[in-house]
Amino acid sequence: MRGVWLVFKKEIMEFTKDRKTLFFTLAMPFILYPLLFGMIGKLGRRDVQQARSNQTRIVLIDPSSVLEPHLRLLPDDFKFVDVPEGDIKDAIKSDILEMVVTLEESAARDLAEHRTVRVDVLYNKVETSGSVGMQRLEKVLKEFDKTAVQSRLQKLGASAQLAVPTEIHSSQVGGQELMVAKVFGSMLPYMLMLMLFAGAMQLGIYVTAGERERGTLITLLATGLPRHQIIWGKLVYIFFMGIVISTLNIVSMAFSMGVMFGSLESSGAKLAVDGQEVAIQSLSGFTMIADPVVIVLTLLLMIPLGLLFSNFIIFIGIQAKNIQEAGTAMMPVFLLVIFLGVFSMAPGIEKMGILPYIPIVNVSLVIRKLFVQQASVLEYVVAFCMTVGLAALLTYLSTKFLNRESAIFKST
Amino acid sequence: MIQVKDIHKTFVVKDKKSRKKKTIEAVKGISFSVKPGEIYGLLGPNGAGKSTTLRMIAGLMEPQQGSITVFGNDTKADSEKVRNTLGFLSTDLGVYGRFTPRELLKIFGEFQGVDSVVAERRGLYLLERLELSDFADVKMESFSSGQKQKVSIARALLHDPKAILFDEPTTGLDVLTAKTVLDLLKIMKGEERAVIVSTHVMPMVEQMCDRVGIIFNGKLHGDAPPKEILSQYGVSTLDEVFFKLAADGGMA
Repeated sequence: MRGVWLVFKKEIMEFTKDRKTLFFTLAMPFILYPLLFGMIGKLGRRDVQQARSNQTRIVLIDPSSVLEPHLRLLPDDFKFVDVPEGDIKDAIKSDILEMVVTLEESAARDLAEHRTVRVDVLYNKVETSGSVGMQRLEKVLKEFDKTAVQSRLQKLGASAQLAVPTEIHSSQVGGQELMVAKVFGSMLPYMLMLMLFAGAMQLGIYVTAGERERGTLITLLATGLPRHQIIWGKLVYIFFMGIVISTLNIVSMAFSMGVMFGSLESSGAKLAVDGQEVAIQSLSGFTMIADPVVIVLTLLLMIPLGLLFSNFIIFIGIQAKNIQEAGTAMMPVFLLVIFLGVFSMAPGIEKMGILPYIPIVNVSLVIRKLFVQQASVLEYVVAFCMTVGLAALLTYLSTKFLNRESAIFKST
Repeated sequence: MIQVKDIHKTFVVKDKKSRKKKTIEAVKGISFSVKPGEIYGLLGPNGAGKSTTLRMIAGLMEPQQGSITVFGNDTKADSEKVRNTLGFLSTDLGVYGRFTPRELLKIFGEFQGVDSVVAERRGLYLLERLELSDFADVKMESFSSGQKQKVSIARALLHDPKAILFDEPTTGLDVLTAKTVLDLLKIMKGEERAVIVSTHVMPMVEQMCDRVGIIFNGKLHGDAPPKEILSQYGVSTLDEVFFKLAADGGMA
């Protein structure tokens, strides 16, 4: 195995000799993600703060003045504007106003005669200012409803609790962070697979097809090192770099996201999770969901997965005549990895009974479940053993295949 | 001693026009031997089978028929031992641009099982002999073809091989650098190494090769000292031998 170590060492040395590669591979993730997420966080925070500090410009059509007095009580929240000229929808889209609230002429009478008053609201949900305006209106209406119901009940001589038969006081088993973990858990396998493959791909091409293109592969093969050890040395290098690059990227991304959520926390922004809205206040960053056991188990799964990907890369790379051909040949595999990653993010796939037995997808599934503390030992063992078995089989096949001179001297 | 006995090599290639696979016989029953202290010139036009023959001797390819032994080691059974015994210089000027010559020679010394101190000392000696010691610590990415060729030669000779295979060692070199390489080959001969040189440069062959073998269409024509070959074909230069072979379609 001396040759494996020597070839691995040579590849690492060659990698470290190029400052640009070194910078873009190792340092860039720690610059890019903090910048990216920092900017997203800052913009998000500014957007929410701006929307909250501004009044909601409202056109209120309330002929019987049912709602108007209640809204006038909140001058910091609502500003009444006249009906603009032209199309009202365009006016909302053009940010001239936030919403139009319309009540029927009979609203006061309906209310007095204990009928339901219809309130039509036209607003732009996509805009933060529109959502904030709607939240404000809902708050007012909720209070309005409560008062109206109580007054009706009073008139009927009934208890105020008549309209409140039940009252929910819920508390979650895992806390709200578990919901956030569910989101991250479904994203992480995709990110892991993508980075594991993409990170190793370029370096893998450089040490395989690149060596052939530069004419150095033959000098390496002409040494006394056994051919299979040269292949394994390169395989270990591709695998090692894939793990290093993906880990660095994930760590930097997790840290940056943590900082971003931390900064959003102060603005009170909300994150949608499965249709619910979970207050960011409950999240003090990504780190709180990163249970050390989950991290170790995830990393453990990355090893055979990384080996599997490295085998694909070396298999294609060694046979390609040049870097361009290797890149082109690698693309379908890369797209497949993306597809599997996206598929693994789909909601509800964890309920499909066949998935624990489909390679690569089962790794995603287990990682997802690990993050919501739902993974079973059996599922983990099946995914791990299957990936290890597949990686070992592919290592055997690629070594055997690449040992053939027709693979090495393909261009001859 | 290098002994090549009746080796054959075929390649399967795809005809782009007919989209059918066809077999090309690159080497058809070549035999020759090279003794220690002898320089053997392997001549032939492009695609004649010279590089394939050298690659088979270097244990990089296997002959489908026949056998090759290098100092008693069979290239099929003991290809690793064979590769440790010989120094191979290919036509590709493949050097690792990110390394300096000193670093490259150290790494390849390790690959060949040479002690790192010995590898460094011998590497510097070779660089000095090849007039490249001033560039020992300069990254090779900016090297000229000649400088790259010199580093490749140093790499091939680093482990003090008993046999040397040089595939077109002077191609692309200026006259002065080519002379340096030729002088080095003479030193190798003096050190009792078995040397095989594949080349197109006929004056070089006539001047320094002890024996010559001409490969044409995968077959070896003549296996004798240059003068004997010339008289055999009744011509005055090896170029003329080439022309004659070409005119006869390799039947002469």
